[in-house]
Amino acid sequence: MGATFVRNWRITLRAYPWTYFVGTLATGVLTIGVSLLAYRAIGGGRVGASFTAATGSADYLGYVTVGAAALTFVTRMVLWVAKAQITEYREGTLESQLLTPARRLPYLVGVTAQALSTTAVEVTVLVAVASALGVRLSVPDPLVLLAAMVAATVAVVGMSVPLSALMLAAGEAHITQNTLFTAMALLCGFTFPTSYLPAAARWLGEALPVTWALRVLRAATLPGADVDPWPAFAVCLVLGGAYLLVGLSILPPAERRALHRSARA
Amino acid sequence: MSTGIVTTDLRKTFPARRWQGWRRRHVAPVAAVDGLSLRVPPGQVTGLLGLNGAGKTTTIRILSTLLRPTGGTVTVDGLDVVDHAREVRRRINVISGGERMVYDRLTARENLWYFGQLYDVPRARLRTRVGELLDLVGLTEAAQLPVERYSRGMRQRLVIARGLINDPAYLLLDEPTLGLDAPIAHQLRALIAQLAADGVGVLLTSHYLAEVEQLCRHVYLIARGSLVAQGSPAQLAGQTVRRHTVRLVLSVADPAVTAALRALAARHDAELIVDVDDGGRPRFALRHPEDLVGVVVTAVVQRGATIVGLTVTPPTLEDAILTLTDPAVMAR
Repeated sequence: MGATFVRNWRITLRAYPWTYFVGTLATGVLTIGVSLLAYRAIGGGRVGASFTAATGSADYLGYVTVGAAALTFVTRMVLWVAKAQITEYREGTLESQLLTPARRLPYLVGVTAQALSTTAVEVTVLVAVASALGVRLSVPDPLVLLAAMVAATVAVVGMSVPLSALMLAAGEAHITQNTLFTAMALLCGFTFPTSYLPAAARWLGEALPVTWALRVLRAATLPGADVDPWPAFAVCLVLGGAYLLVGLSILPPAERRALHRSARA
Repeated sequence: MSTGIVTTDLRKTFPARRWQGWRRRHVAPVAAVDGLSLRVPPGQVTGLLGLNGAGKTTTIRILSTLLRPTGGTVTVDGLDVVDHAREVRRRINVISGGERMVYDRLTARENLWYFGQLYDVPRARLRTRVGELLDLVGLTEAAQLPVERYSRGMRQRLVIARGLINDPAYLLLDEPTLGLDAPIAHQLRALIAQLAADGVGVLLTSHYLAEVEQLCRHVYLIARGSLVAQGSPAQLAGQTVRRHTVRLVLSVADPAVTAALRALAARHDAELIVDVDDGGRPRFALRHPEDLVGVVVTAVVQRGATIVGLTVTPPTLEDAILTLTDPAVMAR
């Protein structure tokens, strides 16, 4: 685990220029900026009653900023963790990994730990940019915020492992990851309450652990939202754990499928 | 418990699909390894030879636990490679020529350190092991450079060091000298011989047959995934129809000599190739199961021609491979 953490940090520092870091923030900054303009210029600084009813708060900018930060966290973490093995496959190092007696889970934990440290910096900078744009976030409950961070990490890792297996089995990453990102952006309630969705879409969203992690995060950061975070926290852990177990069970056959493909090539 | 790597009736098929109109349909699976039984004992170099597509690399991937066999068994010191894959991985390692296998953005030292940790090499041992291996493959001076700045030969040397990081009891070498400069290839061959002398069981595939003849005590020859012959390199060469090649170069062209050699070749049913060397002098190559050097030289000298070059090449391992893997021979 430690070895993979150090390896990934070294590779990150050497491989990615600072402009890449700016690029990763662009989506989040743009989301907040456009919402800010719409809120001030079109909405006149007010939100509709339906929004307040759905969220329990009238702080639209806080809602969007937390959602954009969460979306940045989730997409960046998925990109790191889910793509770890297909990157090894493409770069020709998957075989040398699989030749060793090392287990998969510590490897994935190492990748996750490094991804967390990188993504935390990105999210912090994003929140600082939002603050510079005039967004004022309320001070969160530290315990619930910690629970939200744990929930978000479990949710993301849980979803990333089966996604990693899918990528390896299919031999491609872009279609798989972009399908997930689009589904999450629409279904999980990052920038609007899930109650706005049609019932079928809402049910799909409920099946994703990220939706529940986001509820814990809202409870920690949204003023006036008198929501008990712990049921959502528990559901998130159970769902994330279930995804992780499924992922760990389908990863070895996916690895073998990838090796079969390269053996036949 | 049997020591060494032992395969019994090993089989591996790959599912195959072909486009038929708009759909891809399953067709008969392709057999890459078909009933192969072999043994790689500790303390010696064993060769695995065959033409491209014979199943050598697939066999190595199965022995190294990367692929699961479709049928048959593989054991390493009595441990089944499917049921005890993790324990088997501690005992073996693989060095492949032409494969990446290392991280471009890391230095050689960082690569070896990382892989050492994946193999659970104790830290104190790993520290000295990394230095030893860098010395061994001549990368000490370049140890702090990212691998992406290495030449192909340097990269291959690092792949070799990676393959030795866990002090494997068995080493599977798939074209290990591919892309290496002659001195480094020579050094690697010496290293392989030394490893075998130290008790490591080595399985070697190589297109450089001189390498196989030099290193291997026992050779398995496979074609289409099946064993076609085995024995020492000398025994294998002797199993085939012997083809001695007599090559001679004359000082000047002489139609009478050429006609005499053509007649001689026809009489003995030998293969004759006539061309000129770089200096424009007539050159003859006569191939025949028997050594015809005596009758060839007599025919030339009787016609007063001057021989400026004469070599006789006995049958080689290459001849054996070409003959034994010939589909017509295999059909018989």
